[in-house]
Amino acid sequence: MNATISTTQPLVHAKNICLHVPIFKPRDRQLLSSPGKFLRDLYFFRTQREIVTILDNISFTLHPGERLGLIGSNGAGKSTLLRVIAGIYRPSSGNLMVNGTAKGLFSITMGMSPEATGLENIYMRGLQMGLKLNEIKKLVPEIVAFSELDDAIESPLNTYSTGMSMRLAFSVSTMVEPDILLLDEWIGTGDARFRDKVKARMDKLVEDSRGLILASHNTALMKNLCTRGLVLSKGKMIFCGEIDEALDIYANDKLIQTKA
Amino acid sequence: MSEIVSLFSMKRIQLWGFTSWFQFLIRYRKTLLGPAWLLVGPIMFIAFLGLLFAQVGGVSRAEFVPHLTIGLIVWTLISGFVIGSTNVFQQAKGQILQGGIDLTDIVMVSVFSTIIHFLHQIVLIVAVFIIFSISVTPYALFSLVGVILLIINGIWLTIFFGIIGARYRDLAEIVQAVMRIAFLATPIIWMPGETGRGGVMGVFLVYNPFHHFLELIRAPLLGDPIAPLSWMVVLTITAIGFILAYFCFSRFAKNLALWV
Repeated sequence: MNATISTTQPLVHAKNICLHVPIFKPRDRQLLSSPGKFLRDLYFFRTQREIVTILDNISFTLHPGERLGLIGSNGAGKSTLLRVIAGIYRPSSGNLMVNGTAKGLFSITMGMSPEATGLENIYMRGLQMGLKLNEIKKLVPEIVAFSELDDAIESPLNTYSTGMSMRLAFSVSTMVEPDILLLDEWIGTGDARFRDKVKARMDKLVEDSRGLILASHNTALMKNLCTRGLVLSKGKMIFCGEIDEALDIYANDKLIQTKA
Repeated sequence: MSEIVSLFSMKRIQLWGFTSWFQFLIRYRKTLLGPAWLLVGPIMFIAFLGLLFAQVGGVSRAEFVPHLTIGLIVWTLISGFVIGSTNVFQQAKGQILQGGIDLTDIVMVSVFSTIIHFLHQIVLIVAVFIIFSISVTPYALFSLVGVILLIINGIWLTIFFGIIGARYRDLAEIVQAVMRIAFLATPIIWMPGETGRGGVMGVFLVYNPFHHFLELIRAPLLGDPIAPLSWMVVLTITAIGFILAYFCFSRFAKNLALWV
């Protein structure tokens, strides 16, 4: 599969992508004014469907070997942009070309079934990630060893502690290495010892990937890891260029915002 | 063409079969009887109505009970498709937002789950045929064609209702209300030839699509001829359904991740 990917073509090329999202909003209601109105408003809530623009005219190119950092405050559209690149949300307008497999680690515990055992969840997720049963079978010992769950792998997920399910989710989610790695916040999980393993695995993922897009609030990490930065504000692209410059612009922008 | 071939690749059939079967087993894990619960409900229903209605309707039990059993089991398959389809994508929200899974995979897993239920309940039909020592001719194999046609219709229905149900949550409510009436309007707990109920309802039977689907499966098993009209109705519905589902999918599939 990798052989067909040319080395000179950009990994991701986005041109003027927009994303409009429908949201349901209750019309003006005064839930708190009186008990009578409270009940009336709950019954006759008359929701309104509104279209909101989450991403507005975003254009950028990611070349092989580049690492792009998405910078912006909460709700700026960073995670949404990552999901668009992963192909989960399709842009409402504009062009998006992705060359290779773009996969992300988004809320990694989502989509696991609590009633099933750890082992069964490994199989389910593996199939979902496009692996064959015998391919998963080969990966299982490694995943179990990495997650350090030992015998607990045979118990249902709802008996796991938060740390245990995070460990499993992480081990499973990182079993396939994508061409283009999409990260919504850097993942650091577990106790101190496990965190070292996670860090090593994450570093290896970044090392092996042909490109990285990272959304994070961690400025030091961004400086360290990324080569370029894209600054988002309320869905609009403010800047796209060198990472240091991007971080400066964001810092100044925040300064302006807080002063105003 | 290659698109259709890749749709039914071994890997994807593995995904559909394993996922649906697995979800099926997980669902009954905490019960004592397990999947046998799929039989208990229908057995109670058939035993009660078989004893009572055979006397009310004035037909012999040997005639009514097989009619009722096949009708009920096939109805469970039909309503499984219809009712299950309305929230199929909402159920899979976690997987959709995780990325990597195809929408057609979600549809097929849902269709497979309904088929698995059906396959378990076929035991009841076999049992009733043995109890009433009904002779089966090779003509009975024709009902397989009916079953396959019904399953094929389940696919477009799940796509079409799934998409509309994700956009308009009201669909699930409407469908449940309609299916309750449809159950009574279809000759399952009554026979078309009867005087009384059957005579009154029988006039409208040609307008009942569920009746035609049921006839294709039930008539060959009981050695009755299939009316040419039933073939025409079912094949027409299949063709129109797939055209509807195709347009609906190509037009709205890209919005689904935003609607669930």
